[in-house]
Amino acid sequence: MTTLVVASLSAREVGRRWAALALVVALPFWFYLVRRDATGQSLRMLTLGIGWAISTLTLFVVNASRSVDPRLRLTGASVISIIGGRLLAMTGVGVALALGYFALTWVDQDVRHLWAIGLMMLLSAIVAAPFGSLIGALLPRELEGALALLSVVAVQMLADPAGLTAKLMPFWSAREVGTYAVDGGSLDMVGHGLAHAGLTWLICAGGTLAVFQWRLRLARYPEP
Amino acid sequence: MTDWPTAFEAELLRLGVQPARARRLADETAQQAAENAGAPGDVFGPAHLYARHLVAELSAPAPEAGRTRFGAGPVMLSLSGVSKRYRRQTVFADVDLTVRGGEVAAIVGANGCGKSTLLRICAGLTRPSAGTVKRTRRVGLVPQDGGTAGWLTAEEHFTLFGAAAGMVPGRARSTGAHLATRLAWRPRRQQRVQQMSGGTRQKLNLVLGELHAPDLLLLDEPYQGFDQGTYVDFWQQVFAWRDAGRAIVVVTHLLHDLQNVDHVLDLGER
Repeated sequence: MTTLVVASLSAREVGRRWAALALVVALPFWFYLVRRDATGQSLRMLTLGIGWAISTLTLFVVNASRSVDPRLRLTGASVISIIGGRLLAMTGVGVALALGYFALTWVDQDVRHLWAIGLMMLLSAIVAAPFGSLIGALLPRELEGALALLSVVAVQMLADPAGLTAKLMPFWSAREVGTYAVDGGSLDMVGHGLAHAGLTWLICAGGTLAVFQWRLRLARYPEP
Repeated sequence: MTDWPTAFEAELLRLGVQPARARRLADETAQQAAENAGAPGDVFGPAHLYARHLVAELSAPAPEAGRTRFGAGPVMLSLSGVSKRYRRQTVFADVDLTVRGGEVAAIVGANGCGKSTLLRICAGLTRPSAGTVKRTRRVGLVPQDGGTAGWLTAEEHFTLFGAAAGMVPGRARSTGAHLATRLAWRPRRQQRVQQMSGGTRQKLNLVLGELHAPDLLLLDEPYQGFDQGTYVDFWQQVFAWRDAGRAIVVVTHLLHDLQNVDHVLDLGER
């Protein structure tokens, strides 16, 4: 139950930050609008924008909860319910954003595999939440975290998709699925994308959990 | 509208001063004002604030008189030879403290002497470099600042902390609201923490620390931002917890708080 309460209150908290939420929604749109004439470019940029926006939002949510988490632990919450609840909420926000932009794509673009476009955006949103969370866990200060996210997104944007560097980046999966969706090709690309996303999710979620298990550990004192 | 002496006496009664004593204090105050050739309001300020100030100064003897003080209960916290070092710098060394149920301990000392660190060690959030800590399982912590989420309301905090303690949301909210009234605070439904004053935020912190009915309460200067009346209410609440058999450890730098506590641990100068 704690997980669901944390998730619902985290979502409510984010929902009240109208200005931040508006910027999160707008960021992928600018990426999309700049190259709207080129379907492939615009959709890849849009997807990367979704990933960047959700990971940044998650980073700030994780950092904002820094002083509350130890008290929740002391009151009896487990680390997994705190972290899991927050990931659930941010993933939900990401999925909602992805679905919104999928609707835009549906209306505004003509693509070969529309379902794969939806999958690409969902993968980006689903990977972004634990990725932002891991950055927040490793870099407790917001400025450092935001700069780290910016670096990752810039490398992801500029690296050759076929090269090793791009594959080591968290949003390569979305790009791979996007290539299938726009340019066509083997369905194996979707499989590779899904496998990459799954592995990235596991590493990021597991890493976040491990860092917070250590950071929020309570000394086990014997009773007097 | 009531006149000043009546309002003053009514506030004293509300604060728990016995009627005869309240009347005598009201008469004496009116007499002092007359001696200063001024209206009581001009000499002492608003009646309710002066009443609270006076009760604080007199250490609220009337509520004490009506309270049954129970004997000390089982040990809730025991520190033996506890030290904390950060790299080569020793923050404090060889700290011993035992607090039983029904006792209040105060940790005092200069800024930076490690009061808050010691409290975090008691909570289990920081590990000691040396020594032994034993404490009861159910513990509540009230930090000096922070510890709340700025975009959530008080009720949502009750729900969140209640869930952490395994309480259903309805019960957590009603318990939180009930505990808030003891601090003369009625949380507003739509008010977020970031919209609250510093004192109200600390009241919320106190309620959150107590929400799951801990046996040991660790309070880190929790009265920051309190007005005089709330400050009096706070100490009355501390003694009410004590009388209910709980153990309380309070970090403070206000030495006049110490006259009613059972133990004083001075961490000294840095």
